[in-house]
Amino acid sequence: MKTIHQFETKEVVAGYDQKTILHGLDVEIPSNKINVIIGANACGKSTLLKTMARLIKPQSGQVILDGKSIDQIPPKQLARVLGILPQSPIVPEGITVTDLVGRGRYPHQKMFSGWSKKDYEAVAEAMEIMNIAELADRNIDELSGGQRQRVWIAMALTQQTDILFLDEPTTFLDIAYQVEILDLLTDLNRKYGTTIVMVLHDINLSARYADYIFALEKGQLIAEGEPSQVITTDLVKKVFGLDCTVINDPVSLSPMVVPRGRYHVQVNESL
Amino acid sequence: MNNLIEKQVPKRHLPKHLIIVLVASIILLCLCVVASLAFGARFVSWNELLTGLFHPEIESFSSSVVQERIPRTIFSLLCGAALGVSGALMQSVTRNPIADPSILGVNTGAALFVVCGIAFFQISSAAEYIWFAIVGAMLTAIFVYGIGSMGSSGATPLKLVLAGAATSAALSSLVSAIMLSRTYVMDQFRFWQVGSVGSANWNLILTFLPFLVVGILLAIMTASALNALALGDEVATGQGVRTGMIRLIAAFAGVILCGAATALAGPIGFVGLLAMHLMRLILGADLRFTIPMSAISGAVILTIADIAGRIIGSPGELEAGVVTAFIGAPLLIFLAIRMKVRSL
Repeated sequence: MKTIHQFETKEVVAGYDQKTILHGLDVEIPSNKINVIIGANACGKSTLLKTMARLIKPQSGQVILDGKSIDQIPPKQLARVLGILPQSPIVPEGITVTDLVGRGRYPHQKMFSGWSKKDYEAVAEAMEIMNIAELADRNIDELSGGQRQRVWIAMALTQQTDILFLDEPTTFLDIAYQVEILDLLTDLNRKYGTTIVMVLHDINLSARYADYIFALEKGQLIAEGEPSQVITTDLVKKVFGLDCTVINDPVSLSPMVVPRGRYHVQVNESL
Repeated sequence: MNNLIEKQVPKRHLPKHLIIVLVASIILLCLCVVASLAFGARFVSWNELLTGLFHPEIESFSSSVVQERIPRTIFSLLCGAALGVSGALMQSVTRNPIADPSILGVNTGAALFVVCGIAFFQISSAAEYIWFAIVGAMLTAIFVYGIGSMGSSGATPLKLVLAGAATSAALSSLVSAIMLSRTYVMDQFRFWQVGSVGSANWNLILTFLPFLVVGILLAIMTASALNALALGDEVATGQGVRTGMIRLIAAFAGVILCGAATALAGPIGFVGLLAMHLMRLILGADLRFTIPMSAISGAVILTIADIAGRIIGSPGELEAGVVTAFIGAPLLIFLAIRMKVRSL
């Protein structure tokens, strides 16, 4: 089981260049849970994720891991606790699945040391979890979008971090692959206790898979908690500016947002 | 569970053909050395070659020919290794498959500084050339990268190459301008300018060696971090790489390698491009192997180019830089077309 960590942001102000996107955010990530950040486009959810994963340096405020500001922790040491899979990593030409997955071991290796038994085991285990063992010698260019994403997540897993950040891990995937990826991430959380923090676009999949939701609007945290408490018609109206009805997902019983547009609305009363 | 893992463990995390490539390149290296000692304006037979190598006390014309070709051969190997690794580093740092000291204009910058040094500061020793060349290479690298990363999309491969080509054209016209008005400089540098390893001597090799060693050591030290950087700055940062620092160290190593090589041999193009692509093709994407191996392939390529130049140009000789440009330019065009297809 993964270690329990206290991970939080304190009055984080962050953004790009002159533009400030997050205006003093306090977020505390529940350990060993699946956390999902939701919000409209450009609300700062990706910025928050990147700031927590130290890809963006906050303009002011701090990101704190177990009582210590993350910029005070040596990068390699931090990389053994925090892992991130960004939205669009680069695929080097001609790279094989094993080579790519193995690169997640970087923070565990010394400068001139070769691969240790631990490295091999971590790679094998990650490939096993992501169900890509049979792709080991294949070239990444030959894989489908869903396979490719599994390879990237496997790479993030070989880093063997207690906390894993993922920036929209299901974008560009069709619905079947989206569910597959989210199932695999849930396996990871349930089996190993890995704390997962991710940005998801699909609010219904977020409501189903999240243990805990953070709702962002214009760089402010406006709601947090379990999906059943957070996802309401009011919140959807506030965050997305969308009129909707919230029902119970017939499969998972989690809240499910049914949008009310201007057309095709047959039932006017809220259910 | 343990059994399962054992079965699934990838056999070895080594490029498939590493051993074959290592053996093949050592054999190739030896062949190159023999050929480089034997071929030229005067062909030396096997027996003469052995006599010249192992019994230098027996004085004969062929023996002295062999003796004279030894430093030339060693220098072309070292110089090729430097250019190979330099190209590999520049490709990794800029994440640009068509980067090379010559394409980015860094060689020309080094050359300009050496020419200026000779024309205006009366420098004349190999060590002085090297320092001038390194400063020139460094300034040019910074300049080209600065121009190439202007605008919103940052330093894209194509912009870098355009900036490099433009800079290179401008700088080489400056080189010509300085040399044309000073015939004494021009005589001294007609060969040097095109890039020739023919004027090598032991003194040159000893001056060059420390730069080569430092450059290659830095390259090997940064290779695994460059592996992470190849996946994008965000992934690399997430894996604990100090991206700015690694880029700086690797670029510095690339610059001193090509600066030192250019200072002594003149601008030789495309060796870095050829060497790295050959290794990537055979060994795959792992830079911990392709960067060091680019030293060997670079050495072989430049030495073959030098030998070819001696054979083609007989009874005189064609400079190695001309030969590498002849092979390298088509490869550059091929890569550029393929990049367009991959819509980079």
